[in-house]
Amino acid sequence: MKNLFLLLLSIVSLTAFSQDKLSTTSGHIKFFSSTPAEDIEANNYKVTSILKPTEGTLVFSVPMQSFEFEKALMQKHYNSKKFLDTKQFPKSKFKGTITNVSDIDFATDGSYEANVTGTLTIHGVAKEVTEKLNVTVKDGAVTGMTTFDVVLADYGVVFTSGKPSTNISKTVIITAHLNFSK
Amino acid sequence: MKSKIFKLIVVIAVIGIAYAAYMWFMPHRNIQSTKAFATMESTALVNEFLEDKAKANDLYLDSEGESKVLIISGKVASISKDQLGQQVVLLKDDSEKMGVSCTFTLDSNTQVDKIKVGDSVKIKGVIRSGAEYDEDLDLSENVIVEKAAIVE
Repeated sequence: MKNLFLLLLSIVSLTAFSQDKLSTTSGHIKFFSSTPAEDIEANNYKVTSILKPTEGTLVFSVPMQSFEFEKALMQKHYNSKKFLDTKQFPKSKFKGTITNVSDIDFATDGSYEANVTGTLTIHGVAKEVTEKLNVTVKDGAVTGMTTFDVVLADYGVVFTSGKPSTNISKTVIITAHLNFSK
Repeated sequence: MKSKIFKLIVVIAVIGIAYAAYMWFMPHRNIQSTKAFATMESTALVNEFLEDKAKANDLYLDSEGESKVLIISGKVASISKDQLGQQVVLLKDDSEKMGVSCTFTLDSNTQVDKIKVGDSVKIKGVIRSGAEYDEDLDLSENVIVEKAAIVE
């Protein structure tokens, strides 16, 4: 009887532990493009993300039309069929794993460097990527910060002529700030 | 003759410069002064996306990002702030897994002070993306509405 009780207790606690999941629906992602002609920046505060500390699973989804540009015309160009075609591809997604998740102590304040590997899908094109994510644990709150480059042509976003080809960099810098809560 | 051609060139140049200036300084669309495409319950909108994602995307999203302006009614499930300090009101029925997340602007933020969780409200804003549940990713995504304001 006592064993049965212990078994049940361990199943319950295991379930509770495996359900442990950090999430956010208000992650911030920014992209920055710099050319001699001009610098272009766009911000998006609507990133949904999940981090499962036990398995190291990291997922995020970016609603592409939530990127805000300073200039209305740039925003229209960015959304259009010639560029990101956000009506056809409304979301960009990443699904991957923190390969060194055992090095991160989610219960203790500190800053940890996570190695993330997985599939990034932008503009309907999926690519394997490996990037670093800085995980900060402070007073129980978990934050993920990362900066990485995206080569637009890798995702089928190509412009060979006209103003965009001189004003938009071929490689854009992505910065993400994921503010997780339980 | 020469002076006529010169005048014509000047006129064309002025039109060209004016057009370029207009394009460059083109203001962002004013969502609150745009006529709403539809008025609906939050649950109905979520279900449209869950039932047929492609059809709903096609109906509500615009190819240049100027997607439909909607008036959504529903029950306030939560109120929070995003990283820019904009208020975010989630309209969701207790029985539902997903709802409509409405992000206010720094200008319309104070309207949220007047409402609380459990209230029934009407919110106008522009849709950015639809609801989605991905079983593999264990990811539930609300409908995202931005530039929101309360409709009295």
